[in-house]
Formats: sequence, structure tokens, C-alpha cells
Amino acid sequence: MVGLSRAALAERWSMFVGALVSVTLGVSLVQSSLLLLISAATLDPPPGAGPAERMVFEDNATAAVSVLGVVLGAATFLAGFIVSSTFAFTVNQRRRDLALLRLVGGSRGQVRRQLLGEAVLLGGLGAALGIPTGLAVAAVQARLMIWADFVPDGFTGEWRSWIMGVSLGTGILLAVAGAMVAARRAGRVRPLEALRETGAAARVMTASRWVAGLVFLGGAVAMVIVAPHGGPDGGIALSMNVAMPAAVAMAAFGPLLVPLVGRLIPTGIGVPGVLARANVWHGRRRGASIAAPLIVLVGLVIGNAAAGASFTASGIGELRATIRADLVVEATGPIGAAVAAVPGVAAASTETLVPATVTTGHGEDEESETVSALVVDPASYAAAHPGSEAVVALSGRAVARGPGGDVPSHGTVRLALPGTDLGTLPVVASIAATMSGGANLLLPPGLVPAADLATAPTHSFVTIDPTADAATVRSALAAIGTVADVDDWLRADAEARASTNDKVLLIVMGLGGLYALIGVVNSVVIGAAVRRREFAEARVTGMRRGQVIRAALLESWAVTVSGLILGGLAAGATFVATLATTAAVTGSATLDLPWPLIAAVTATALLVTSLTSVITSWSATRPAPVRLLGTQE
Amino acid sequence: MTLTTVTRAPVAAALHGVSRIYGRGAAAVRAVDDVTLEFPRGGWTAVMGPSGSGKSTLLHCAAGLERVDGGRVLIGDTDITTAGDRELTALRRTRVGFVFQSFNLIGSLTAAQNVALPLQLAGRRPGRSEVRAALAAVGLADRAKHRPAELSGGQQQRVAIARAMVTRPDVLFADEPTGALDSAAARTVLDLMRAMADGGQSIVMVTHDPGAAARADAVVFLRDGRIVDRLVGAGARQVADRLAVLED
Repeated sequence: MVGLSRAALAERWSMFVGALVSVTLGVSLVQSSLLLLISAATLDPPPGAGPAERMVFEDNATAAVSVLGVVLGAATFLAGFIVSSTFAFTVNQRRRDLALLRLVGGSRGQVRRQLLGEAVLLGGLGAALGIPTGLAVAAVQARLMIWADFVPDGFTGEWRSWIMGVSLGTGILLAVAGAMVAARRAGRVRPLEALRETGAAARVMTASRWVAGLVFLGGAVAMVIVAPHGGPDGGIALSMNVAMPAAVAMAAFGPLLVPLVGRLIPTGIGVPGVLARANVWHGRRRGASIAAPLIVLVGLVIGNAAAGASFTASGIGELRATIRADLVVEATGPIGAAVAAVPGVAAASTETLVPATVTTGHGEDEESETVSALVVDPASYAAAHPGSEAVVALSGRAVARGPGGDVPSHGTVRLALPGTDLGTLPVVASIAATMSGGANLLLPPGLVPAADLATAPTHSFVTIDPTADAATVRSALAAIGTVADVDDWLRADAEARASTNDKVLLIVMGLGGLYALIGVVNSVVIGAAVRRREFAEARVTGMRRGQVIRAALLESWAVTVSGLILGGLAAGATFVATLATTAAVTGSATLDLPWPLIAAVTATALLVTSLTSVITSWSATRPAPVRLLGTQE
Repeated sequence: MTLTTVTRAPVAAALHGVSRIYGRGAAAVRAVDDVTLEFPRGGWTAVMGPSGSGKSTLLHCAAGLERVDGGRVLIGDTDITTAGDRELTALRRTRVGFVFQSFNLIGSLTAAQNVALPLQLAGRRPGRSEVRAALAAVGLADRAKHRPAELSGGQQQRVAIARAMVTRPDVLFADEPTGALDSAAARTVLDLMRAMADGGQSIVMVTHDPGAAARADAVVFLRDGRIVDRLVGAGARQVADRLAVLED
């Protein structure tokens, strides 16, 4: 039986190369993300760093870990999806061979075992290639992380020898899990199917496809419904992730939905058009398999990009609405008194940022987290930030929950500043969590020792007395720190947020998107691998080689467009969740569609599938048709 | 001392009142309609009929490749009408062999590997001599290392026969075995089958070629899923004339 697996590998090599590539890249992406995640999680602060620097360092490390966590999640999802759809496709393309095996006495178990044996072989081989490839991927990802300032210069994925075992296991697990469903179905293949020319399954929507489609659709709908009730953090996470189940559901319904687009091919454009229309319908399972990675690519990339841009835009709008001031003064150390003393300053909320560690719970439940705390004057803060009126209750030895959330809204917290333990303090007020985030804790003046504030970054939101000369006030303030108009300051902040959002998107979706794109190429190639005979038949019927290639190209366009539309629908689930979440958190529904990216993804998908289709059909029609029709295999 | 008498069923395979219906309601087609037919042990029976007469369906039903909607199917004295997949797999491994028009060899395996495959699937380690003998029996001992693409159509079909015969099946089912062959290659294959039948092999063959049918011991004629005639020891001309009448 191993010999048979080996022989099958040798014969349908292009198909297996496709499957192998999907495993290799999947393993390398998962391994790289895992290595970087572990490296970031165990990153040590530079030697000689002070307590404050250490806290900032740890805060950054936490951000890096959470970005890499998302990267690992996306990589695992993509690897699982691409590998399983590729394997299912190759198995489906080999139905006739498998039926033949059944005809000469192979049992269902033997067919299943052969396919799983091949999966173990391919998974192991894919992992063996994926481990070194993963090191190259890790180098690229690490550079991206450094470029985006999530990690310090010199950050690398530290090699762990146990990762080899994990990657090997990942490769085999991905391949076997991917082949499992296909193998079960292939085990039920009837021996008589060996006698049919195409061996295409009559039923395109199997029960398991319906179940998977409905379960994932239900999951996506549930996430869309729950998202607006999850607060900023939960809502953002749910909105970002809803594209995954939505894409899986769309891919599962592919055989029903993809051929509908085939109907749009005009028939008035000659024989290739007629043939392409017929082929999209006849090969709807193949079409669905080719569209599947495209659906995931479009759904995840467009969905995540739109959600990220929308939440950023929503946060910027929200921030603008929660600041009532004319100028911002930025400096280090205690500048509050100096700012307030400037003639013409009607009001000023001076806020000093200090890193802090919050510990909640007791015993085994005890949890420590690095948070950002803002030392404020409660009354001034409330005046400068509409919506935060509750904070006026803050005084003495107490804290308030800030707009960044993430700390309890009542009860007590144990608070430590770098070098200073402030003990257990009551949470006496709480501001609603915002989309734009901000400080997690607000502290009253006097709580933090002056020494800790001396070098802390401070900003002051200043309102100018309408009767005063703005220019004079401004120049007086310039002696204290850097002065900017609130509008300019907000604009710069918005740009910084948008840039961070783009960087995160590139890190999370860049390599993953590339992987999905390779998955698309893979499935086009696999789809063409068994069509040499079909193409030859079209040619002996009287079609020129160019016409056959044109028909294949038209068919490929129809499948690509349907993949784009279905991927767009999956992304649409993210859009709906984003609109609902932004409306619930900030009161105004925001959706910022990244049109240039949408155009780029569409153009790239069409270009890549067209090129692959032309190259594969050109190569498949190279031998004289008679030679292909003369031999059976 | 005990005396064991081995009683063998007089028929290799039998259909009792078998029907096979495709489609439902008004669109239903009775591909095989209440057919009762016995294939004698050690004999070669040809099944003929116009296209669409249900002859291939009949063969598939008799071989356990297709379920029946009514009646009973026997291989030897085993009733396989309601046999599950496991039993049918076991049946294919030991008691029936198949040869088809389109050879259906596995392209990546050599002739010898193709022939050894059924034994391997049955969990046996095929001996080199066993495989070589099977190939020698079809006159291809010197082609063992060749792959199907390197063989002519007639040679491929003989490899397929060797593969079907290597398990020494009770019945060999052949569906248009000469349909894709030129007349010289067809003659070689039919000579081979004739020799096998003379050696006691039971063969059931579907064909539309009167010349091929005439090599069998008996010819059964089918039309619209029913048996309409049976000739024994008829020549090619006689078979052709009978078929021509049915096709009108």
C-alpha cells in the first residue's frame, strides 16, 4: 500500500506538489509566528533599565505579544483552511483512481488508509521543508515587527529545538485533518465510478458541506449580533474575527453559489463563451475548490482592513468629541501650576502619564497587569473631557477607571508604580470605555510621589480666555513646553493611529494573504492537472488551441469573480459587525472602506488567476490531442 | 475416517427476478426488468442487445457493483442481494474478477504491480512467481516491467485479464472487453478467454460484437431490460442476424 501511495505521488505529481506547497508554507507560517510570539513573550528589558523603563518595556512587549497572538491565530486558521481545502480538492480529483482501487478489491478502510498514509507522508515532508522555510519567514516577520516599532532593534525569533517536533506535528496534523473528511467521503466512493469518464460526484452539496456551511454561518451571525454588546475591546475582536467563520461558510456553499456567476458569461462571444459557461456549471465543485482560498483571502484581508480603518476612524472622531480645549502643551514633569499661571489661560487639564502595575484578585486568581495611569486634576479633567464628569468624585487615596478600561470599575485594586508600592486603593469612579482607548487608570494629585512625576511625560489641554490674545498666550506657553492647536494635535494623533493600524494589518495579513494567494494558484494548477484529456477532446471536436485556452480563461474569470463576490460577502459580515459596534460604543456608526486595497486585491486576484490559467491550459494543450486521447491514463 | 464431499453449486452466478430501475415516477426507466438468468459454472456466456437494452446494468447487478431494486442475485450459492460493503469487498477480492472496455489499469504502476495489486489489497504478499505466472498466462511474461502507456491496447487488456485472474475468481465479468481493440488484438484477447473457458473458468461477457459473442458457449439477447432470446453454439453470422432483428 505504501508502494501505491508512492506510485500515486509519482503520477499525479503536480497535484501533490500543490498539496505539499500548502503544507510547507502553512507550517512555516505557524512555526514563525509561534517562535516570534515566544521570543516576544520572553523578551528581557535591556540591562540597566530603570523601573519606569522596565514598565514601558513590558507594556510594549505586551502589545507585541498581542499582535503576534493575532498573527499566530490567523496563520493557524489560514493553514488549516488552505491545507484542508487543497487536500479535499486533490482527493476529489482522484475519485476515479480510488474507485478503481475499490473495483479490484480495495476496502473502504484501505482507501481511507491510503489517503491518510499519503497525508502523513505529505505532512511529514511538508514539515521537513517548512521548518527551514519557517526560519526565513521568521526573519521577514521579525523585520516587519521591528519596522513597526513593536519590538526593539535586533529582535529575532529565537530558535527552540522543540519547535521541530511542534512543526512536524503541525504538518502531519494539518495534512491528516485536511485529508480526513475527504478520505471518509472517498471511502464511500462506489467501484462503478471507475468506469465513468470524469468520476465527478453527482451530488455537489454533500451533507457535511451543508452542516459545515450552516454551522459557520450561524457562528458568523451570532458574532455579528454579539459584537455591539462586547464593549470596545470585545466588539473590535469579534468584528475582526467574524470574517473567518463567514468565509468558511461562503466557501462551503461555494458549489451552489459559484456557478451562478458562470451564468453571467455572455453567450454571444462565440464557442469559447458557450464552453466556458457549460464548464463552470459542470465543474462547479472544481470551481468551488478554486474559489475557496480566494474567498478566505478577500474576506480576511478586506474585512480586517475595513474593520481596522473604521475603528481607527471611529476612535479619532470619538477622541475629537471628548476633548474640549484650544491648545495642547507637551512637556515632561509637573507643569500644571506653570500652565495655569499663564495669563489668559481660562482652564487647563494637565495630565501626567505614569506606568503602573495593577494587581487584582487574591491567591491563585491574582493577576498583575502593566497599565497606563494618568495623574489628573479631577475637576479640570472633567471640564476638558465631556463625558467624564464622574471623575470629580476622585480624591485622596483612591483611583478611577479611565477611558482605556481593562481594570475593575468598582472594588479595589493593588497599585504599584515603578519603585513605589501604593497599596490597595478603592476604585471610586469609572469612565465609559472608549474606542480610542487611553489611560486605564486616573489618579488624583498627591497620590503619586513627586519624584515619580519629575520625568514623566505630561500634556496639558488648555482653553484660552476668549478675551485674551491667543498669540500671546501661545508664546507664553511655548516657554513651558511644545504647543500645538488641538486640531493639529488630533490630526497628528489620527495619522499615527492610522499608520499603526496599517502596520498591524500588514504584519497580520501580509504573509497570510500571500499564502492564501499561493493557495489560489495551487488550486488553479490542481484543477488543470486532470483536464488535459478534456482539452484534447475540445480540440478534436474542432476548437483551435487558442479557443480552448480562451474558454479556460473565461471560466477562470467567472470563478475568480465569484470568489471575489463571496469573499466580499464574508467581509460584509465584518462590515455589519463594525457598524453595529461603532454605533454602540460611540453613538455613530462608522464604516471606512479601504477602496485602494479593494481595487488592488481584485486586480491581483484577476491577474494571478488569469496568468495561472493561461499558463496551465497552454501547457496542458501542448501535446497533440490525439496522443492524449489515445492513452487512457 | 471421514469422507468429505465438496458439493459445488452448478451455477457460477444467477439472477432471480432481478429488476433495476433508474429515476422515479414518470421518468422511471426499468433498465433491467424482472430478469431470471443462470450463468453455468465453467461456461462462457455472452450477453448481447441493442444499446440501451440494459446489458451493462445486468452485468453490474450480477457482479454486485450495482444494487438491485427487486429479485435476488447469487454468486455461486452466496446470496449477495443485500450484502454490505464489507462482504462485497471480500467478494471482489476472492470470487469475482472484472475486465472492462477501458482497461482501467493504474497508469503509474508497472504491469506486474498492477497484477499484484488485488493480492496486496487482500492482505497477501504476492509471490514473484505467482505474478509472473499470471502474466505468462496472458502471453506477457516479458512485459512485466512496462507501464500501461508503454503497452498496446491489446496488451493492456491482457494485463487487465491477468489482474482479474490472479485471485483465481469463480466468475470473470467482462464488459465489452474487445470494444476498444482492433480486430487482431481483439482476436488475441478472445482466444485467451476461450482457452480460459475451456480450462473451466466461468465467464460472463457483455458485448455488441457478434464475432466476440460467437466465441462464447451461449449468447443471451436482451431488449428493454428483458431477455428475449438465447442461442447456444451459434456462429457469428447467426448472432449478427439475431441482433439485427432486435435493433429494428
